[in-house]
Amino acid sequence: MKKSIEFNIKPDWDEIEKVRNESAEFLQSHDLSDDTIHSLSMIISELIENGIKYGDFKMVADKVVVVINLERNTVTIEVFNPVDESALKHLSRLDRTIQWIRGYQDPFEAYINRIKEVSQKPLQDNESGIGLVRIAYEGNALLDFFVGDNNLLNVSVVSNLDGDDRNPS
Amino acid sequence: MMNQRPPRFNAHLLQGQSKIPIEAQYASRFSLLIRFFNGFPSDQAAEFNKIVFQQNGDKIEMGPCEYIVEPHDQHFQGRLVFNQAVYDLNSLFFKDKLEKLQGEFSNLPLILAHKSKIKAAFKEFTANLTYDLTIYKNIFDSLDARFADEPAPIKHKVQTAIIETEGRKFMRFLDQKLDEFENLIINYSRKDHERHGFYLRKQLWHFLMCAPFMARTNLKPRGYSGDSVMMKMLYDNRYEGDSTFARLMHKHPNEHPAAQAVRNRRQLISEMLGHLKSGRPPSSGNKLRVLSVACGPAFELQDVLTSAEDCAKFHFTLLDQDKSALSEAASLLARLEKKYGAEVEVDLLNESVRTMLTTPKLDTMWGKFDYIYSMGLFDYLTPPVAKAVLTKLFQILRPGGEMVIGNFHISNPSRFYMEYWLDWVLYYRTEQEFIDLLKNVTSAESRVLFEDTGSQMFLHVRNTER
Ligand SMILES: C[S@@+](CC[C@H](N)C(=O)[O-])C[C@H]1O[C@@H](n2cnc3c(N)ncnc32)[C@H](O)[C@@H]1O
Repeated sequence: MKKSIEFNIKPDWDEIEKVRNESAEFLQSHDLSDDTIHSLSMIISELIENGIKYGDFKMVADKVVVVINLERNTVTIEVFNPVDESALKHLSRLDRTIQWIRGYQDPFEAYINRIKEVSQKPLQDNESGIGLVRIAYEGNALLDFFVGDNNLLNVSVVSNLDGDDRNPS
Repeated sequence: MMNQRPPRFNAHLLQGQSKIPIEAQYASRFSLLIRFFNGFPSDQAAEFNKIVFQQNGDKIEMGPCEYIVEPHDQHFQGRLVFNQAVYDLNSLFFKDKLEKLQGEFSNLPLILAHKSKIKAAFKEFTANLTYDLTIYKNIFDSLDARFADEPAPIKHKVQTAIIETEGRKFMRFLDQKLDEFENLIINYSRKDHERHGFYLRKQLWHFLMCAPFMARTNLKPRGYSGDSVMMKMLYDNRYEGDSTFARLMHKHPNEHPAAQAVRNRRQLISEMLGHLKSGRPPSSGNKLRVLSVACGPAFELQDVLTSAEDCAKFHFTLLDQDKSALSEAASLLARLEKKYGAEVEVDLLNESVRTMLTTPKLDTMWGKFDYIYSMGLFDYLTPPVAKAVLTKLFQILRPGGEMVIGNFHISNPSRFYMEYWLDWVLYYRTEQEFIDLLKNVTSAESRVLFEDTGSQMFLHVRNTER
């Protein structure tokens, strides 16, 4: 059975649902439990949404690419999209946020801190990053990113599969 | 922050239906200085529903509040303080955030509920440990009090004697407790580890906070683990802290295998660079071009550069995301230059490896390198990023050049001590996973080495192109 699946989508919100459904089918075919599929789907949507929001899609050929790779103990989800120079500031913040989230052994700690901040309502909305915290906390996954050749941004999560992430065979 | 002029602005106070114009100025974290404009009696205390004003285009309303007469200076007549929700004016005026002091309680139910998922055996272990640590701390503290008034050199001798006797016994007690703790958690799932770590840290918080190393790894003042101050503590491996108990708690993790592994890897890098400088001549008759990725304070350079001739042999490129670490590395080099009366060629690059790849034509900008090393970085990069960074680094390694990358091995015996106590989480790899990061690069000849404790691996890569 295929261990990986790839989607090339237009930067269009309607595409998210399609990828969500098809990737859920793919994960189901590998016997992942409903809960696990649910949290991975949340992650996939969140990453594509960010890709569309911060991406730079000047050319028709500029797409969001989603690659899901399943191994025995891990699932890796990578989302690629082109970015322009103006994204750099956002990316430095993303770098800090990711290090901050991953600096906690328990992502719950990042979660409660971020919830607290959001509840305090920053006057200038400086992007709460709550979506990323949810990926770490509810999705139980490690976030990371890099910008590669041709300013292609790759945001990825690596999620460990424990025994109860798969349906009993 | 406090160097800025305190913000002064016009506002009005609401009292019932009336609107009282005032001038206000930030006075302290929780109070404003005010002056009434329209003859409102300023010589008696008064209460108001709220204060209203504009800040950076936002309408701010805070209250209820209370006026306290305080003939402070020529200008203002008194202070305004909040008497229910207490607003943090530092956050408001200097961080543009409207925060209530009571906001800390907003997550209380969630945090309190977090303990419901903690296993009974773990709770019992933690309770016993807390008890034991309290007893130890009380005794060490009472000894401290007894020699507190001695002259400094005597105090030092007495404290050293206590550390060397009962102190070392306490360290062995900690070792034993860590063994028990590891047996308890050995079969926990990742989620269990996360929750139980959170619980343990909350319970031991005061003990952790007294030890400078543990406090820093937990609080991460620069936003990440492994900053240059933590690195210095690891390299120094000394007794540090305000009390005998604190010093012991500080020293214990610094003696653990992972800490020793960090000291070992510094030695390994120094040896490799030493070998390089005495070995084959640099590529084009020029200097040996060395790149340290995530260089931190680059302490190893003082082991490598031990003479004017050494200084002349190298060109260093030091890359780190953290400006403070880079400036510490720069001052270290300046000290070495002064000591040997020689110049060291160095480029400092303040970049993150996650975004450095946007630099167009890295190799023309930075040149190619004879030797690239990176210690304490790949432990934070997941495979997609580690692969991309490693591949890019390989592209700027000149043919025949070598690269050494450190990563803690999955079997690191300090792993759970670090995760639970220090809140220091790494991305661990097996040898195979480490080697596989470069498996698509055909001209890379890779092997994995270990330092003496066996907890840290090094991926040694040679560029076999000619
Ligand atoms: C554990 S210290 C190691 C420092 C030094 N190599 C040593 O072994 O003493 C980690 C260093 O990596 C740097 N670092 C972490 N993530 C980085 C990134 N994405 N890009 C560049 N530097 C990074 C930190 O700023 C810190 O100085």
